Amino acid sequence: MTWDTLVTNSPTFILGIPLLFAFLTALSGRFSKKIGDTLFFIALIATAFFVSLMSYEVLTGESWFYVFGAEQPSPENIRSFFRITFAADGFAVLATITIMITAVAAGIYSYGFMKFETGLNKFYTLFLLTLAGVNGMVLTGDLFNLFVWFEVTSVASCALVAFKNYRGESVEAALKYMILSTVGGLVILFSIGLLYGQHGVLNYALLREGITGSFIDKLALGLVMVILAMKASSVPMHMWAPDAYGEAPGSVTPFIAITSLGSLFVLFRLLFSVFSLTVVSGSILIILGTLSMIIGVSMALVQSDLKRLIAYLSVSQVGYMMMAVGVGLATLNTGDYDSFGELAMQGGLFHMINDGVYKALLFLSAVAVVHVTDIRSLNDLGGLAHKMPYVTFFFLLGALSIAGIPPLSGFSSKLLIYKSVYLYSPILAIVALVVSIITLAIIGKAFFNAFLGPDQGLVKRRVSKTMLLGMGILTVALVLFTLFPNIVVTEVVTPAIDALTETFEGVIP
Amino acid sequence: MIDIVLKDMWSPIIFISIVLLNLLIVYWLYKMGNSDYKKTKHSGEPFISGNRPPGDVRRVHVAGDNLFWGFRDALKQYFDPLIKGHTGSINDYMYWIVITLAVVLVYIYMVV
Repeated sequence: MTWDTLVTNSPTFILGIPLLFAFLTALSGRFSKKIGDTLFFIALIATAFFVSLMSYEVLTGESWFYVFGAEQPSPENIRSFFRITFAADGFAVLATITIMITAVAAGIYSYGFMKFETGLNKFYTLFLLTLAGVNGMVLTGDLFNLFVWFEVTSVASCALVAFKNYRGESVEAALKYMILSTVGGLVILFSIGLLYGQHGVLNYALLREGITGSFIDKLALGLVMVILAMKASSVPMHMWAPDAYGEAPGSVTPFIAITSLGSLFVLFRLLFSVFSLTVVSGSILIILGTLSMIIGVSMALVQSDLKRLIAYLSVSQVGYMMMAVGVGLATLNTGDYDSFGELAMQGGLFHMINDGVYKALLFLSAVAVVHVTDIRSLNDLGGLAHKMPYVTFFFLLGALSIAGIPPLSGFSSKLLIYKSVYLYSPILAIVALVVSIITLAIIGKAFFNAFLGPDQGLVKRRVSKTMLLGMGILTVALVLFTLFPNIVVTEVVTPAIDALTETFEGVIP
Repeated sequence: MIDIVLKDMWSPIIFISIVLLNLLIVYWLYKMGNSDYKKTKHSGEPFISGNRPPGDVRRVHVAGDNLFWGFRDALKQYFDPLIKGHTGSINDYMYWIVITLAVVLVYIYMVV
């Protein structure tokens, strides 16, 4: 197997490896725990390697479309051509990098965090299935495969939320998440059926050629948009998120949050590359985004449970991305796109990769707090900085970044958002600024309550080295994004924007 | 071609350099301070307005719900319905999806 073959087939490996190892880790439970651990880490490292390989090739060379199972189609047979296609382009690179950073950190963290749990081989299986599902969602180039990966992600992540099934709250949260995901999956399948009935194709590129804004097209757009916004935890359909994030095993909480971000990636892909109704979709994104920012931060303010507080802040951060990308979408194909629309896109997409990292760091450090104290309520925590200096540092870094405090990376992306959104509508920029200030106040409250003050002797056990390593990986990524935001924007975010805004070529040779 | 770029607006390296420079100046001022200060056995103990707090100092810590109490109380008319709306019931979650779906579809058909 030559290097070129590895590169060309990297999208297959990105999905194939976690799928294969998901079954192997399930089987390994019959033999030895160590085999399961080893297989899990091999799968994570190998998947990260192929994501890096695909990213390097796309960012230094050119995008390509991977067609499974048969020779490339010709223009003559294109409409009757049913194949699985994957798009290895700038947008897929941005999404898979975001997913993999969190997956590797959460995976390593899990090793220390879950070591006293039973049935770890099943945990690894579910983790790897979720990883395959969410990567499949962002890589696929046709609607039916999107549905398949959507279902794989939903089923596996629901089971992950309910993994600690001896806790009633976990099972309840998973049941709610499962009902919403199932209804969401059915609605998406219905809209796929509508589009297929209307246009006779499922491939993104071919659909884009056919979509003209007919009655059916609009219905499909509305259905897909609302369901993916729900999965992305957009207000007013966000209520499942604090339940699921709060009750999932702590180490996978950021990974569950990443599946939400994966849905947001897919939503943006479909709105740009399939549906050409940019102005109306853009304005809906802006409205949902603004609501998410305001309601998310308001609900975070009244929380005293540390994990739920961060969950509501993550709802608020999703609002920033939706608003910024909404501005880019609404101004696409107008003169304003060059003036500030592309800048808004840069801010929105840069904020996605930032959010993936700092949110994961916040969740993992909050989980470390709960792990060592068995306390979740901010009313009962205090003085942890005396005994947990590393976790305090990690939490502070994530907290300052989510609040957009310079020089951290959250500030760089928020600056782009403020600047561009102000040129679109000053009121929206003011809302974004006020939400950021309230976020700082909330995160200040959480930090003050949990870490500052006299030592109260709450620490019952130590944070393991692998848990610290998981948080350390995220910290390194955060520091790199902080020091070199221009490089990230130029080399990673801009190719993603180009992939979205230029016509999606799909499988057309 | 984009009109505004991030590197024209913001450089974290310059920002961090200025912060470090400021820290150096602060350290220099600190070193110029009183060098014959001696630590006593009461140094570093918690205090409120110069006095030792009454009772167990661990209980003095301000708890989560106490922070921003005034803010929440002043905006009670906003926060109360908001909290009440988050019922935790799956039926309500579904209602919100249906309502959003209806509003979005009406909006799409009206605008396009």
